[in-house]
Amino acid sequence: MTATEPDRTQQDVPPSSRRGTAAAWLTTTDHKRIALLTLGTALVLFVVVGLIALVVRAQLTLPDQHLVSNDLYNGLFTTHGSGMIYLVVTPIAIALGLYLVPLQVGAPAVAAPRLAMAGFWLYLAGTVLIFAGFATALGPAAGGWYAYPPLNSSRYLPGAGQSLWIAGVFLAVLGMIFQAGTVLWTALLKRARSVTLMRMPVFTWSTIATNLMVIGAFPSLLAAMALLGWGRVFPDIFTENLWNIAYQHLFWFFAHPVVYVMFFPFVGVVAEVLSTFAGRRFFGYRATVVSLLVFAAFSMSVWGHHMFSTGQASNDYYSLTSILLLVPAGVEYFGFLATLVGGHLRFTVPMLFAIAFVPQFLVGGLTGIMVATPVIDYQVTDSYFIVAHWHYTLAAGSLFGIFAAFHFWFPKATGLLLDERLGRWQFWLLVVGTNTTFLPMFWLGLAGMPRRLATYLPQDGFTTANVISSAGSVLIALSVIVTIANVVTSVRDRRRPAGDDPWQGLTLEWATASPPAPTNFDDQHPLPRIRSFTPLLDEREREEGEERTGDDPAAHGGLRSGGSS
Amino acid sequence: MSFLPIFRDIFWLEVAIAAGVFLVIAVLLAVTLYRRRAGAGRPASSRADNLPLEIGYAVGLLGVAIFLVVVTANANHRQEQVQQAARAAPDVARIDVTGFQWCWEFAHRDGPASETGTCAEDPATRPTLVVPAGRPVELRLTSRDVVHALWIPDLALKSDVYPDHTNVLATTFTEPGTWLGRCSEFCGTHHPTMEFWVRAVPEQEYQQYLASGGASV
Repeated sequence: MTATEPDRTQQDVPPSSRRGTAAAWLTTTDHKRIALLTLGTALVLFVVVGLIALVVRAQLTLPDQHLVSNDLYNGLFTTHGSGMIYLVVTPIAIALGLYLVPLQVGAPAVAAPRLAMAGFWLYLAGTVLIFAGFATALGPAAGGWYAYPPLNSSRYLPGAGQSLWIAGVFLAVLGMIFQAGTVLWTALLKRARSVTLMRMPVFTWSTIATNLMVIGAFPSLLAAMALLGWGRVFPDIFTENLWNIAYQHLFWFFAHPVVYVMFFPFVGVVAEVLSTFAGRRFFGYRATVVSLLVFAAFSMSVWGHHMFSTGQASNDYYSLTSILLLVPAGVEYFGFLATLVGGHLRFTVPMLFAIAFVPQFLVGGLTGIMVATPVIDYQVTDSYFIVAHWHYTLAAGSLFGIFAAFHFWFPKATGLLLDERLGRWQFWLLVVGTNTTFLPMFWLGLAGMPRRLATYLPQDGFTTANVISSAGSVLIALSVIVTIANVVTSVRDRRRPAGDDPWQGLTLEWATASPPAPTNFDDQHPLPRIRSFTPLLDEREREEGEERTGDDPAAHGGLRSGGSS
Repeated sequence: MSFLPIFRDIFWLEVAIAAGVFLVIAVLLAVTLYRRRAGAGRPASSRADNLPLEIGYAVGLLGVAIFLVVVTANANHRQEQVQQAARAAPDVARIDVTGFQWCWEFAHRDGPASETGTCAEDPATRPTLVVPAGRPVELRLTSRDVVHALWIPDLALKSDVYPDHTNVLATTFTEPGTWLGRCSEFCGTHHPTMEFWVRAVPEQEYQQYLASGGASV
């Protein structure tokens, strides 16, 4: 063993006979299990909150439909939007790092595992509170995911569901701060000694940028929720413009960075998956790392672009900072494409999702530049154009990143491969479904359809695009059913053992067992030699090189070697 | 001058740029996927970096970003100038617009006319904002309760409507006509029906409207 090992004897690893019990899972300090609890909860909620979206789509399919009342419709879109953001995509983005980062940096555990576990419990408690709103007399929260006052004060939305929602969002977000903090701590201070900063995989770097934003921006949401909570008791404060605008600043100071929290980890995922199945190092690693950090820093300065139409924000400044973000985003896209250009491409299921992410997220990004232009934003904000824009970033983008990650690391976490054929069905249904659902929404917005509209009239001219959109959502539902069938049959039949490294991976998690031991690496699976951000590829090339010429190709491809080749 | 031409210019400029970028990347991606598929037998490159190329590219991107920032700021300033010119015009018609849960009230400062409605399911209950065609109009927007937004999609006119704050939309309705206006900021139960009509009428008709206290249009 060449690397110097930290202490790998963790005191509180239970004996293997007791590791499978529910009590062991629910009190675990193993980062992988905490992450799986969080990811599993988030995936269940993805299905639940997705079903809610289907009710929304059903109501909007035809004009003048009243399958649900206006108030219930408002509760449903609020639960869909806030559920997907606070309870599904953000927790997945953070918990994916909780699972992978200690493995990728060769650490035996996450720093402060009990804090990470507390994060899960807070997240779960927040979820329960938010959904408890459905059991209250006036129904669930119905103020939209950004919950502007004065509408969300107790004067205009008096239901207990609204108060539960505020408390639930506060707890869930606090939980995510805890988890993000432990992952950041691990990546910065708990790496194996031979894993230097510039030997961390792109995914780990993306989680560092992500978690820095979490630490910097999420507390602002806690303050916003506290202010809103105050307004539940003393609604009069929101008769003053000052507090209404103050809330919006606090909220968007959190809520623009959270958009990138829901994006960056999937940039990392796509980078890992593309380079693995291109059989080469991610091209432009250093530029990508720098761009992620610059992106994260700039993300803290753009929040006001959500407030152009308030007439109370500095348009030129926020427009400037927002548009400048195209530079780091463009650098990341350069890396994606350049990696593929020199690759030897294997079109596995995770690779398909990662490839589709590239053009689909691009639509979200390009329309994002448009809405950073105030005179365009004035017209399209609060319309379906915006709905289309962020569904292209979140559904056509992040969701594809989530499924790329799911198919890529499922074998690592379970030791089982998923079915390729079902995976391809899932992929194509999702590609067609997503674009059919969300592309027509751009037209709806330009045709004048405001967002959050419980129903519309035949003479509005919104019918055709809404029918197409709803048809697309059925395909998305089918895709999710295929996914569930894939997981259920794979786990039940256990026919396809994954082995340690089913994909010829590049990074350290593929050097250990599937699923990894409680301390990640052990005597059977020691840390390999680590000389770059793709240690396993270095090893493979070294072995091949030694067979042929005795040459060490890592010396050419590795970053430490300077400008040769 | 109205907002629509400014919106159209820059919207289609950015759509054209975005479409160009999308096309380049999509074609590059498609060609790469075909050429570099494993079956084609090209081995993976071992090159991990090309710093001069990457830095050059980033500088190029910065150029694009600066171009967009300038174009954007320009359009924004043109729109502000349109508004300021309209507000400063001696013949500007001032109208107080109040949003409330869930309808609108339009009070004309140049005469005793004011109009409101109930914005119920029946479209006949929508109020009408009558404005003079051909001369500047200043809409002074405020709310009685929660945040609303006044949106006239066909004219690209939109502004949020706040309680305890007045936003101004100033423009000229160049031609007579009738358009639908909506509330575009979610405001509660009856948000979907919080609509109104905008009617731009010839000057004479507008004077009659004011004189009759909002009775005839």
